[in-house]
Amino acid sequence: MAEEFEPKIVAFLCKWCSSAGSDLAGVSRMQYPSNVVPITVMCSGSVSPLYILSAFNKGADGVLVSGCHPGDCHYIKGNYYARRRIALVKELLEFTGLEPERFQMSWVSAAEGKKYTEIIKDFVKILKPLGPQKKLGRSQ
Amino acid sequence: MVNLDDLKKEAHRILEENKVKYIIGYSQGSNGFPAVPAFIRNPEDSDNLIWNPACIHNLTRFLRDEKKRKAREKHPDNRPVGIIVKGCDSRAINVLLQENYITREDVFILGVSCEDTGVIDEKKLAKKLMGKMALSFDWDGNRNLVVTTKNGEIKINADEVLAERCLECPAQSPVVYDILFGDKVKRSPETRFESVEKIEKLSTEERWAFWKEQFDKCIRCYACRSVCPMCYCDECVVDTISFAVTADTTAEEKAQKIKWIDKSPVPSETFFYHMVRAIHLAGRCIDCGECERVCPLDIPIRFLNKKLEKEAKNLFDYEVGFDPNQLSLVSSFKDEDPEDFIR
Repeated sequence: MAEEFEPKIVAFLCKWCSSAGSDLAGVSRMQYPSNVVPITVMCSGSVSPLYILSAFNKGADGVLVSGCHPGDCHYIKGNYYARRRIALVKELLEFTGLEPERFQMSWVSAAEGKKYTEIIKDFVKILKPLGPQKKLGRSQ
Repeated sequence: MVNLDDLKKEAHRILEENKVKYIIGYSQGSNGFPAVPAFIRNPEDSDNLIWNPACIHNLTRFLRDEKKRKAREKHPDNRPVGIIVKGCDSRAINVLLQENYITREDVFILGVSCEDTGVIDEKKLAKKLMGKMALSFDWDGNRNLVVTTKNGEIKINADEVLAERCLECPAQSPVVYDILFGDKVKRSPETRFESVEKIEKLSTEERWAFWKEQFDKCIRCYACRSVCPMCYCDECVVDTISFAVTADTTAEEKAQKIKWIDKSPVPSETFFYHMVRAIHLAGRCIDCGECERVCPLDIPIRFLNKKLEKEAKNLFDYEVGFDPNQLSLVSSFKDEDPEDFIR
């Protein structure tokens, strides 16, 4: 029997909010799919477009960038920069023909463990029917 | 209309008065088309300058070389460099000023206005001429191009030969200059993003098929990078030359120099290269179209930059190159920036 496709998600979580939010989900024993590879970064504003492209290049099926809610940034305005930059990357990737669903951004605060699990659950649900991402992946 | 004699006279004057080191301009190409960049040092040579629709290059690219040369000199000549700019090129100067790459004192700008026309697209012209050699070009004042060939004159409508970027140009006259030749015009064409919208209308899969075919052609010659006036970094993220691993490279050094991208021109790496290039030019590209012109494989690279220009305008109300004092696109934000795509 063929195994069901399990998408691989790379999540860039900011240290102060989203990463703490995912921790909260963990310590509260909330159940969510194990498809996600969390990478803690200092701020969503420090996520270079290169990180995102590189994740796709190395075979990620979906990429999530998550940071603090506007106004909550530990560095005051990092997430505002991120918002602008990610919007541009998203538009560009869509323009070149990547499925727009594969790249998402979210605001998750340290208290929103529940929201984090829901985002991951929904993301996996969206990615499963799309199948593996082969467009940007390095051909072996 | 730009009076060429005025241009020559003015060039002669500023060279004679020692106001500038040299003038970067255009002179007649050996094959009629296109014009070639000329570096005029002697006042007598200013007679070689030309201005016609064959002056397709963006000369601000040479300011980068000038800056690097100056940095190496022991006793640099601090006089400004004279440069002839079209509307698009002047916006490139504005971006370089905005980024503090050059200062206003480094350049003496001779602005030439394209008025209601622009420059010629090489391929469109070649189709029209069908093998005939063009000797000279001019606009007849009625948006018609008059090409003189050995077998007489040919008249072509401007819309049929103008480069696509000129048809979509937001300002055909220079926005920054010391002396301006020709009339000052500012128009906002309705078709400003028409070429991009054509691709946007396609479905996701069609778009991917289009770009895959284009990127498959890329041989990674980096001509687009070399010609770009904005690609001035000393070290480029796509170069692996700076990541030479030898026997004494420590693990720490390796860890610090991440190899983002592979040299080989396989589709995934080429895609990565073009994405990085486009993102790095977001809010900086002034649409001079040089990258597309120099591409030996005719990849429509300009679309990627144009797409980001469009989004900068639509999402963030950001116009490139009109104001040297504005904050750059990605180093600024507004509270009302759209976030409907964020959960």
